[in-house]
Amino acid sequence: MTIADDIVAPETPEAGAIAVETPLRRFLSEFFENRLATLALVTLAIIVVLAVIAPWIVPQNPYDLAQVDVLDSRLPPGEKNAVTGYTYWLGTDGAGRDLLSAMLYGVRISLAVGVLSGLIAMAIGASVGLLAAYAGGRVEGFIMRVVDLQLSFPAILLALMLIAILGKGIDKIIIALVTVQWAYYARTVRANALVESRKEYVEAARCLGLSHARIMARHIMPNCLPPLIVVATVQTAHAIALEATLSFLGVGLPQTEPSLGLLISNGFEYMLSGKYWISFFPGIVLLVTIMTINLVGDQLRDTLNPRLKR
Amino acid sequence: MPFVRTTLVAIAIAAFGLFSPALAQDLRIGLSAEPTAMDPHYHNLTPNNSLLSHVFERLIENDEKQNLIPGLAESWKAINDTTWEFKLRKGVKWHDGSPFTADDVVFTFARAGNVPNSPSPFIVAKGKTVTKIDDHTVHMSTAAVYPLMPNDVATIMIVSKKNADGASTPDFNSGKAAIGTGAFKLVKFTPGDRIEVTRNDDYWGAKPKWKTVTFRPIKAGPARVAALLAGDVDMIEDTPTADIERLKTEPKVELSQEVSNRIIYFFVDHSRDVTPFAKGKDGAEIKNPLKDLRVRKAMSKALNRDVMVSRVMEGVAIPASQFLPDHYFGVSKKLKVEKYDLEGAKKLLSEAGFPNGFKLTLHGPNGRYINDVKIAEATAQMLTRAGIETAIEMLPPGNFFTRASQGGPGGVPEFSFILVGWGSGTGENSGALRPLVATFDKDKGQGASNRGRYSNPKVDQLIDEAMKTVDDGKRAELLGQATDVAIEDLAIIPSHYQVNTWAARKGLKYKARSDENTLAMGVTE
Repeated sequence: MTIADDIVAPETPEAGAIAVETPLRRFLSEFFENRLATLALVTLAIIVVLAVIAPWIVPQNPYDLAQVDVLDSRLPPGEKNAVTGYTYWLGTDGAGRDLLSAMLYGVRISLAVGVLSGLIAMAIGASVGLLAAYAGGRVEGFIMRVVDLQLSFPAILLALMLIAILGKGIDKIIIALVTVQWAYYARTVRANALVESRKEYVEAARCLGLSHARIMARHIMPNCLPPLIVVATVQTAHAIALEATLSFLGVGLPQTEPSLGLLISNGFEYMLSGKYWISFFPGIVLLVTIMTINLVGDQLRDTLNPRLKR
Repeated sequence: MPFVRTTLVAIAIAAFGLFSPALAQDLRIGLSAEPTAMDPHYHNLTPNNSLLSHVFERLIENDEKQNLIPGLAESWKAINDTTWEFKLRKGVKWHDGSPFTADDVVFTFARAGNVPNSPSPFIVAKGKTVTKIDDHTVHMSTAAVYPLMPNDVATIMIVSKKNADGASTPDFNSGKAAIGTGAFKLVKFTPGDRIEVTRNDDYWGAKPKWKTVTFRPIKAGPARVAALLAGDVDMIEDTPTADIERLKTEPKVELSQEVSNRIIYFFVDHSRDVTPFAKGKDGAEIKNPLKDLRVRKAMSKALNRDVMVSRVMEGVAIPASQFLPDHYFGVSKKLKVEKYDLEGAKKLLSEAGFPNGFKLTLHGPNGRYINDVKIAEATAQMLTRAGIETAIEMLPPGNFFTRASQGGPGGVPEFSFILVGWGSGTGENSGALRPLVATFDKDKGQGASNRGRYSNPKVDQLIDEAMKTVDDGKRAELLGQATDVAIEDLAIIPSHYQVNTWAARKGLKYKARSDENTLAMGVTE
């Protein structure tokens, strides 16, 4: 084991050494060199924190129908709730939901769906891709043809078809997003694993008679991680956008528990009549969320890619 | 908001530059749905019936309030219990110049119910024996007494035997067989784009003002409004409620409104002992609470119809107390709109054995009725306040109606609680009572849309009796009584009557209609 580990991570410094430049520190300092990416990361962190603590900070639970009153519908930003006196800082939507509360809950759903489906798709895609690269031959041929087939479908079309078959609900959306996205991970991991599996340390591990599972998981996989992390950030942003699109089309989550896409869609019809806030604010939040994730992903790619190393 | 305004103004200016205003004799109308064919017997659907009324005519027509008025028949009367006599109008010419005679009527009634591949055929043409007496007299007879003969006849458009004999639906769509007697002639039907008609200068009745009329289907509500504001069309139907308030202040636009014959209502599962979408608060199976009149009454009391109308429908609807608005034939004179009473609703629920309420799912179509999703959402809020924790699931209309009619095991209606609408095509109350609350009976042709499987011998008996009564006053009274019994038992829970809004450019007036038809004949300057 010690031999293998040394081969996998040859630059790991000895424990206790005065490591001025650990890989993590180097990574962090390189990442924060880019001001824009730093700003994006901070913004994203704020959004995530707000989304996580939303139930404790919002004045209204927008999913509790007993708290939402259609009498308060379409109030412009700054109006007050007649009963509780709470100010609707960003106005209300067509059903009388406080838009600020609804947006924070919406971000919560969007992020949860994006991250969860991203993680599951990554787990499935990475394992399958690794297996394809390591096994080769027919197994590889079969897996990669399935991936090709999958990637030849437009993502939104495939997701719509799946939702039509599976029905509505958050679990179904996640299943659809995983189905749409695993292939990207599989392809990325396979390409990297193919390169890695021809390197000497893998041959050494083979010579030592280590099991296939061990070589795949402990030796090849860790070296495929950097590109995988980059793909994962980009795909999470895609998943959030895709979920918003599905909800906008009215096939995503239930009407009474709107995510960002559904909030935008609900306000869409009021755009012409001057009630801009119903679509506008959720739209901005969706835009900022996806953009910050993408900016962070870009910087991750620049930092983790050895070819761009100075 | 200023940004939106500026954008709109920019769009309007751009559009005015591109499309020069049409000539005074041309009219362009934006439709909310496209007709599926130019064959008047192919598909019994409002967009088709509305458009084809320009080209074809019926023996009896409906005026804008759905009263029967003479069309191609000058007069009609029952000559005995089972036979009606129609005196046809003389001197009427088809668009190809040939004369209109009794042969055309006989031919039409043989064709109307038998068009191949019809998605929704005119079954009312069936079961009637049509006999030519002379060139301008026909007799129509039925096996049993049938007082609704004139109402049925008023739904069938007469086609020319010479042109339509052997013609298929595509022949009508190409214009070859679409030869009518109407005020307009069909010029061209371009599916997905437009339908053009031109004035029939030999028309027997009042000649319309417009030389040419172009109908353009623009499905999305905001796009339709934008097209009107841009001057791209002169008039639009089905104006979205979200835009009405703003359009009222728009100096370039004039609105016209009419209560429609369409009621928006809720059906509950009246028949099953355990209904799939009603559960205890803990999610456990419970016996169907909706069979209890007290529960239905509580739901009706919990529904705040004034808020529904003022907030959800933005004032463009009327709270409903029964199947049809008050001025229709055969409605109840005594039913009042149920008052909103949250405490009363909670009390009734406790009495019925649900002091903590229960869980219920409301199903409905997504985009079939004006604001249907919002109505469902508001309903869920109102019922939840009363203790009935209501979830909503809105489905694509095609999917919804199939499942709501026959999606359950053994072909029964699948859902427990649904949001639906009904427009009485005959323009009188039996057109709602027979399909909705008469006991479901395929052979008798009753209860076809009774998706709650409501069954009450008293209601059935009153409807049956009414259908055997030729005397109008007597029949209206019987239908009114049947309505009283059905609504007091909350066979359906009425919400509101739809109000349809047409918007036209300044200077145009539209005689708004209760049957939702958009007719160029009704547009004046």
